[in-house]
Amino acid sequence: MVDWLTDSWLWLTHNWLHVVVPLVVFLATYVVGLWVRRIAYRAFNRWAGGKWEGSQIVIQITRTPFIYWFLILGAFIAIQISKLDSAGKILADKILASLFVFSLTWVIVSLSVKIVKLYTGKVPRLQTSENVIINIIRTAIAVVGALILLDVWGAPTTPLILLLAAVILIAALSFRDLLANLYSGFQLAQGEQIKVGDFIKLESGDSGYVTDVTWSNTRIRALDGNLILVPNSRLVQGTIINYGRPLKKATRPFRFYTRLYLKELTGLTASNLGELANMLKEVPDSVIYYHTHHFLEEHHYLTPEPANDFALWISDELGDEVLGEKLASINIFDFLSIDALRSRIEGVITDYLSKKPEERTAREGREFHFIKSVSFIMPTSYVAHDLREFVEVLRQVSIDSLSYHIFEARLKLKKGVNDFAIWIEECLDDKDLAEKLAYLDPYNYTLEGLRSTIIQVIEKRIK
Amino acid sequence: MQNEIHLQSKSRLKDYEPVVGRSSLEELKMLAAKFSGKIVQIINSTFVGGGVSEILEHMVPLLNQLGVDARWNVISGGEEFFEVTKKFHNALHGNREKISSQDFALFSEVTQRNLNEMSFYGDIIFIHDPQPVGLIAQKKNIGKKWLWRCHIDVSNPDKKVWKFLRSFIVDYDAAVFSAPNFAQHLPIRQFLITPSIDPLSDKNKELDSGTINSVLAKYSLISNKPMIVQISRFDRLKDPLGVIEAFKMVRKGIDCQLVLAGGTATDDPECTEVYSEVKKQAEGNTDIHILLVPPESDIEINALQRAAAIIIQKSLKEGFGLTISEALWKSKPVVASAVGGIPLQVKNKFTGLLCYTVEGAAYALKQLLSNPEYANRLGQNGREHVKQNFLITGHLKNYLLMFLALDHNSDVIYL
Repeated sequence: MVDWLTDSWLWLTHNWLHVVVPLVVFLATYVVGLWVRRIAYRAFNRWAGGKWEGSQIVIQITRTPFIYWFLILGAFIAIQISKLDSAGKILADKILASLFVFSLTWVIVSLSVKIVKLYTGKVPRLQTSENVIINIIRTAIAVVGALILLDVWGAPTTPLILLLAAVILIAALSFRDLLANLYSGFQLAQGEQIKVGDFIKLESGDSGYVTDVTWSNTRIRALDGNLILVPNSRLVQGTIINYGRPLKKATRPFRFYTRLYLKELTGLTASNLGELANMLKEVPDSVIYYHTHHFLEEHHYLTPEPANDFALWISDELGDEVLGEKLASINIFDFLSIDALRSRIEGVITDYLSKKPEERTAREGREFHFIKSVSFIMPTSYVAHDLREFVEVLRQVSIDSLSYHIFEARLKLKKGVNDFAIWIEECLDDKDLAEKLAYLDPYNYTLEGLRSTIIQVIEKRIK
Repeated sequence: MQNEIHLQSKSRLKDYEPVVGRSSLEELKMLAAKFSGKIVQIINSTFVGGGVSEILEHMVPLLNQLGVDARWNVISGGEEFFEVTKKFHNALHGNREKISSQDFALFSEVTQRNLNEMSFYGDIIFIHDPQPVGLIAQKKNIGKKWLWRCHIDVSNPDKKVWKFLRSFIVDYDAAVFSAPNFAQHLPIRQFLITPSIDPLSDKNKELDSGTINSVLAKYSLISNKPMIVQISRFDRLKDPLGVIEAFKMVRKGIDCQLVLAGGTATDDPECTEVYSEVKKQAEGNTDIHILLVPPESDIEINALQRAAAIIIQKSLKEGFGLTISEALWKSKPVVASAVGGIPLQVKNKFTGLLCYTVEGAAYALKQLLSNPEYANRLGQNGREHVKQNFLITGHLKNYLLMFLALDHNSDVIYL
């Protein structure tokens, strides 16, 4: 032990310059490091401090490692000017490079994590994906750091890089839709084009309120109550209409019903006007309703003016065009009940017969057959909570549904007013709009024309 | 089971969405859901030939796709039995037929044989046309709901035949007719349901011009010469000789050609006889083409209809006359007799022209051939009319409603 100390002392007395100079250089680099850090952080603070809220994170994370890097630099220079043999210098360089790569990797990871947290904390839709993003960044930086370390120690990295590239390529191809959706999700998040609560309409015709927006897809509650999951890439690439925030919610949603009908023979027939007038007194309401309304649906494309069957039969079969015209000109919209309508039709015929008692009889096989409509009423899956939803549903429902709410509810179900007007007044408290729909004479339109007219009236109101 | 056919669906229900709209299909699905666990047993006399089997061929698979367990059976008959039922058919249309007591006895005997051989497993048993009408005898043993579908016009029937059939019909829960003036006074409920066409079937789907031209070439028809076409079985009630007569009147002034194309059915032995008469009548006239096409020639029929300038249907008596709806669906102007269910399809001067005589048919043909714009407008209206009233989806809806109606007596039913 004494010998070893003596030998070391002797070596130092002969080579003190080779020890002191590197030591001084090392310490000097440390001092320079302290000085550079001070200047650099001051400048950085001045440049970014007021503008970017992440600047404090950068300072906080890099402050200590900054000095470590100068220490590593100092050690490197000191070793290069020292009397260490070349093998020792190479080993020392590798150790120092490894320390540098390790610390730099750690700093980049910490910095990225903090900055991602800073931004995801501000955008609610990104919070659910925060862990995924952080893990992807951590892994990517760690892999790059590891590859550099391997390179420093002379390990063959080319096959690894190739393997990694292949894995990334395969993953990119396999998850290209996912990646496209993630990218689109990012675009949506950036632009804030679609937000939870917006009412949107897709190219496919589907529409509804947005209930959630994630990185990969957007959820929409469709008008029939179903949830539609739309990949974000479709939203970004396709044309969508965003109607924005919901309108005033109704106190009770409007459930669309539909009415399908079946024709049933009553077995009653009439060959002349007298028989027709007598039968009119007896037949059920559903017979009167059928003969004054079926033309609307069966021939709605031909004419907006529905001819009732009584008028048609009297004109075409009995050849009495005067009475036919009188009956055809009865405005059904003037009547609030089938009984009142029945009395009017019967009254017109009876009055006519009293003035012109001559009776014509229909040819054999051309008698008037009294048919009744058996209505089957059932709820559809469509529900509207506000006027926007109401309009969009109205575009989609069948003409059977439209007929039910406009014609059948008013007359056959004896409500006196159509269902739409009732709901708008009672549940949306919009008397003005309700009145417009209540006074709209639906018998003046084809069914498709009626649908567009109601939509136009409501859309005007929404705007 | 013997005499039961399992059909593969040619079209998916979803394929009808572009034609009839999503909401109509949704309504169908809602109705079909009411039949969960129930079996609808459909019985008629043939799987092939004629309008009834054509409808069932498309309807049964669609019912199955909707989730309704519908199964199709046919009765077994034999040539003699079908000769008798053909006579019944003509007699129900009001034609004079010699029907002996042996004929009635044969009908009853075949009915009894079928009653012994067939299984009756349906919750709803849906019998089509007069041939299997006697199967109702099984109702007293098994109960269930029984429906009789009459596809023909029985407004002016032979009294003896009607009385015989009526004794069976009155035991059904309900009868179904295609038009109000087809029906007879009956003590049971009577529904009105029109038959239909399938817009996606080979007979009605869109065809490219190459296919149409190849069919025209096959039958040596001239593509640039206006073509008048009647598609129907070679049956006297379709008046093919009257059509030839009307064509000859038109041909005097307008260069055109006539095609009479028809098939045969296993339950109609008279077809061959009428076919020979028609061939004889057309002999020597190169503008008249008589084509006997087998039942599986739907694409060819479709092509002939699409190539036609005018479709004619000059029936003397008609059930419903689905060839009219087929023509209208292809936006073709139609000249047709005002018989049977034709006036329901052809609103005179709106969706086609109606006629009553050979002269009237010739006059209407000339009007349309001379005024292509008018003819085109009638054709367009006709397509809308069929879309609204005579497509298979609407037909399905009506059948499902009728099955439901059997359990209700009210005029307003909440489902």
